[in-house]
Amino acid sequence: MIGNAPFFVVGLLFLWGLMAIFTQKNLIKIAMAITILGSSVNMFLVALGYRTGGRVPIHFLEGDGGPMVLPTPQAMTLTAIVIALATTALILSLIMLIYRHYGTINVDEVRRLRG
Amino acid sequence: MWGVVHTGFGSWDALAWILFFGIAAFFLLWFRSLGRSDYKKGTDQDEIFWSSNVVPEDGAHISVPADAAYWGFRKGMEPFYKGLVGMHTGLAPDIVGWYVVVVAIMSVLILIV
Amino acid sequence: MNWTDHLPALLLAVPLLGAFVTPLVSLGGKMLRNTLLVVTTFVTLVIAFLLWKDVLVSGTAVYVMGEKVFNLTMPSGMKLPVRIILEADAFSAFMALCGAIASFAGALFSLNYMEGFSGMKRYVSLYCLLTVGMLGMTITGDLFNFFVFIEIASIASFGLIAFWRDKAEAVEASFKYTLVSQVASMVLLLAFGALYGKYNALNIAAIGSLLKFGFMEKIVLVFIVASLACKCGAFPMHMWLPDSYAEAPSGVSCLLVAVSQASLYGLVRVCFSLYGVTMGASFIPWVVILLGLASMFFGVTMAVVQHDIKRLMGYHSVSQVGYMLLGFGVGMLVLSDAKGMADYGFAAIQGGVFHMFNYTMYKALLFLAAGSLYYTTGKRDLNDMGGLARKMPYTTFMFVIAAAAIAGLPPFNGFVSKLLIYESSFAVHPSLAAIALISSVLTLASFVKVFQTAFLGPEQNAFLSVREVPSGMLAGMGVLTVVILAVSLFPSITMSYFVEPASKALVDQAGYIGAIMGGGM
Repeated sequence: MIGNAPFFVVGLLFLWGLMAIFTQKNLIKIAMAITILGSSVNMFLVALGYRTGGRVPIHFLEGDGGPMVLPTPQAMTLTAIVIALATTALILSLIMLIYRHYGTINVDEVRRLRG
Repeated sequence: MWGVVHTGFGSWDALAWILFFGIAAFFLLWFRSLGRSDYKKGTDQDEIFWSSNVVPEDGAHISVPADAAYWGFRKGMEPFYKGLVGMHTGLAPDIVGWYVVVVAIMSVLILIV
Repeated sequence: MNWTDHLPALLLAVPLLGAFVTPLVSLGGKMLRNTLLVVTTFVTLVIAFLLWKDVLVSGTAVYVMGEKVFNLTMPSGMKLPVRIILEADAFSAFMALCGAIASFAGALFSLNYMEGFSGMKRYVSLYCLLTVGMLGMTITGDLFNFFVFIEIASIASFGLIAFWRDKAEAVEASFKYTLVSQVASMVLLLAFGALYGKYNALNIAAIGSLLKFGFMEKIVLVFIVASLACKCGAFPMHMWLPDSYAEAPSGVSCLLVAVSQASLYGLVRVCFSLYGVTMGASFIPWVVILLGLASMFFGVTMAVVQHDIKRLMGYHSVSQVGYMLLGFGVGMLVLSDAKGMADYGFAAIQGGVFHMFNYTMYKALLFLAAGSLYYTTGKRDLNDMGGLARKMPYTTFMFVIAAAAIAGLPPFNGFVSKLLIYESSFAVHPSLAAIALISSVLTLASFVKVFQTAFLGPEQNAFLSVREVPSGMLAGMGVLTVVILAVSLFPSITMSYFVEPASKALVDQAGYIGAIMGGGM
């Protein structure tokens, strides 16, 4: 049961991020919600690759006993973090431009395109 | 034949259609050539008929705007359009909301059926 | 070793190189930068063509990144492929070619269209990156790689949609797209991670050979289908699409059409090659059909009442994606039923594949034509336009061809694919075909409206100084017009060389898996 704890945390974080998108009105907070979503997925990937009592998956650093933890999810997570970084930077700069044009960061007032 | 596609139920022949349009164009031009060509150019016979009024200088005053097109259709379908356009609120969380709702409904349904 | 073996890698390397040498080349001036854009996209197009030809002659092309032998997918002692693998079967190559044509046309168009704007080196860089993302999605054989390419494409398109950042609407559209696209991507990554956790593989073929349809796989399938349907703009999740297509510069809208097709490609690839017959013939096929019906009907009814020309075309994109979803959905319905497949299922898949190609060509052309109108008049509102046919005869000519093709008027190509979809969906239930026909009628109606208000009517004083657009823009539209006319006039050649191999490759799950996993399947 305790082995599944990371996955519960992942689920909670994911739902938390998702809820924040709908409940928060501040664009910066929505950007934070997106980041939380990304982090929860990254945590999911890392938790997938862990093996109980696992060793470092590098040949000259490995300790004794046990299997290696999987290196692939870690590589995937690194890639996903870089992608999330780029997106976060873009979202924040878009919010900056929105503030410049609309004079507000309330998400309810950014709705010129509709219908 | 390089113009024919057989669909299993019927077929589609691009060449036959081009031939059809060629024949139709021939008749069209023929009928058009039967019209009178002895009208006097530069007189009132040459003018647009604008309900007996003077034709405005600027074409913008006598062209039909896009909003006027299909007015009856939109009027007849008003309740439908009220709902549909009302759905497009333009709020960013609503767009995400529709996605989440679709995923949720699909996830529940796929486990039931 | 033949150099054509490296075509899949070159297809990604060339535009990627183009994207990253742009800032350097831009130091040499405007001329050099424009040449770079055109040369990069043209070389990509040539490579895509060669790859397609190669695949057609010698079967599925496999390329293993970082291996000494380019097609050694499974080194000795391995049960599963370990490296990043590109796999191009006839369907992938078809999609890559289709996207490369749109990319080339958009690049030619952008030369003149974006002339007066600053920051063009970023535009060129992002444009090439968007092309890489789109092509990568179509030829990758690896789920995580698919995610990476979808993100490359998304990030590049966020930047390009908001390229005119002094326009509030453009920034707003980009923000909305960013939000929904990020949530969808994260759900997608969650699904891919779950598959990895269970099967220890990321390769589509490897997972496909092991897959058993259980609880987890059902949820994963839902996540993938919904996310990719959102990315290609299926009905209740489409609202970002008209916004961003309308606000992006027209050369970009043209490429975004191809990118949405790449997302649709991903959806179809997952359904047919990853899940295949294990998916069952009940739920997911009907979901895809229903999404398709809703998209085509509600999309087109929204389009009828629009008066912003690019927004109208954005809603038409929603509607056209519906046709493809309907075609593929009908195909999935009879995937495990050999008789139904032979009777109408294969025709439906052919219709879907053919419609993907047709749609990319004519919708790209329509966006470019709308861009030409914006370039010359500075307006996008149809209420303010009129009488432009007198001033812009070539644009009018090409617009008419594209509009006739999208409305399915004979003898243009739009009808061939629609006919295949109508007939096969009629075999499932007549009401499906009825909704598709009604949507087609409304499509025609709204394009008659665009044509009548923008091009016909008396000359207006406001547009006395309007001239035909410059030659670069005409060339961009011309490329697409030539493709549309060629496909229209030679439908049987297109069907037998383009569409049929692609559809066969799509249905042939064992072939797709066998190309990676060896003959042991």
